[in-house]
Amino acid sequence: MPGLIDQQHDTFLRLFAEHEPAVRTFVRSLLPSRSDASEVMQEVAVVLWQKFAEFDASRDFRKWAFGVAHYEVLTYLRDQARDRHVFDDALVNRLADAAAAAEPRHDAQRDALEACLEKLPPAQRELVLCAYAKGTRIDGLAVQRGQTPMSLYKVLHRIRQALLECVQRQLAVEGPQ
Amino acid sequence: MKSHWHETIQRYVDGQSSAEEAAALLKGLNEDAELRALYLDYMNLDMALGAMADEAAVGENGSNRVTSLHEARVGSPPHYGRWTAAAAAALAVLVVFAMLPRGPKPLRTGHDVAAAITSAQVAIARLAFDTTSALPAWMSPTASLLEPPRVPE
Repeated sequence: MPGLIDQQHDTFLRLFAEHEPAVRTFVRSLLPSRSDASEVMQEVAVVLWQKFAEFDASRDFRKWAFGVAHYEVLTYLRDQARDRHVFDDALVNRLADAAAAAEPRHDAQRDALEACLEKLPPAQRELVLCAYAKGTRIDGLAVQRGQTPMSLYKVLHRIRQALLECVQRQLAVEGPQ
Repeated sequence: MKSHWHETIQRYVDGQSSAEEAAALLKGLNEDAELRALYLDYMNLDMALGAMADEAAVGENGSNRVTSLHEARVGSPPHYGRWTAAAAAALAVLVVFAMLPRGPKPLRTGHDVAAAITSAQVAIARLAFDTTSALPAWMSPTASLLEPPRVPE
């Protein structure tokens, strides 16, 4: 049945491309570090493809993908249980429920962020984007700027808090999501 | 909502928390729905800033990165970058899965998938050096070279 398989393959590509950013954000929400999230996301992509034949096309792909991602996060965290400062199962479950419910708000926040970034003073905008650029090390960036890493973190915290408050204000003006 | 949670959450996200701070945050997250919402908003912001930095920085070298980032942001019309990144991400996904084997059992082993993803990452890396497209982190040139996909047993 090569035709059916090709159709399944193409359907998966379309659905995964559409929902990958939301699934990635969901995974990131449940894990304390970006590198953990990246590692789990690779696993999630593989499992989604492996299980796609079992997916009921009448269901919501994103919800299904969130369920798979939730399970993969729990498995990953159990493997990391030697670190007592990671989330336990109960907290992951609470965060997963909250993250799924917050998805429309988070979509709107991501849309609003671009305008809020433009409102930042140029030096702050450059700094935060530079800090988030792949390969940037905060300690190296601090040395370049003649700061201690601790003082640079504090600057970044103030910028992020300002950005978050900006997007929250903007959404409050636009109305409930 | 106590204002100190903003700082506590960000220190945790940055891996800067002391043991006491981390324990207090985990306890608070378990007990307080409002704190969970704030934490998730910061995580969403963290992801979005990472994506924006990636799209601004791809194709730039380290020596002029800050200037280039500024130019990339200021010189782009609204939403241009996001659509470029979305298109590049979709393309990258299509490349990866188009390389996966087809058949009655689409994947024989996790090694097939990992190999396909790794190959696709290399292919995408070559494309990325010739374009200004941003790529998802797991498909980035760095990921392909430094962090091969884990293989499920």
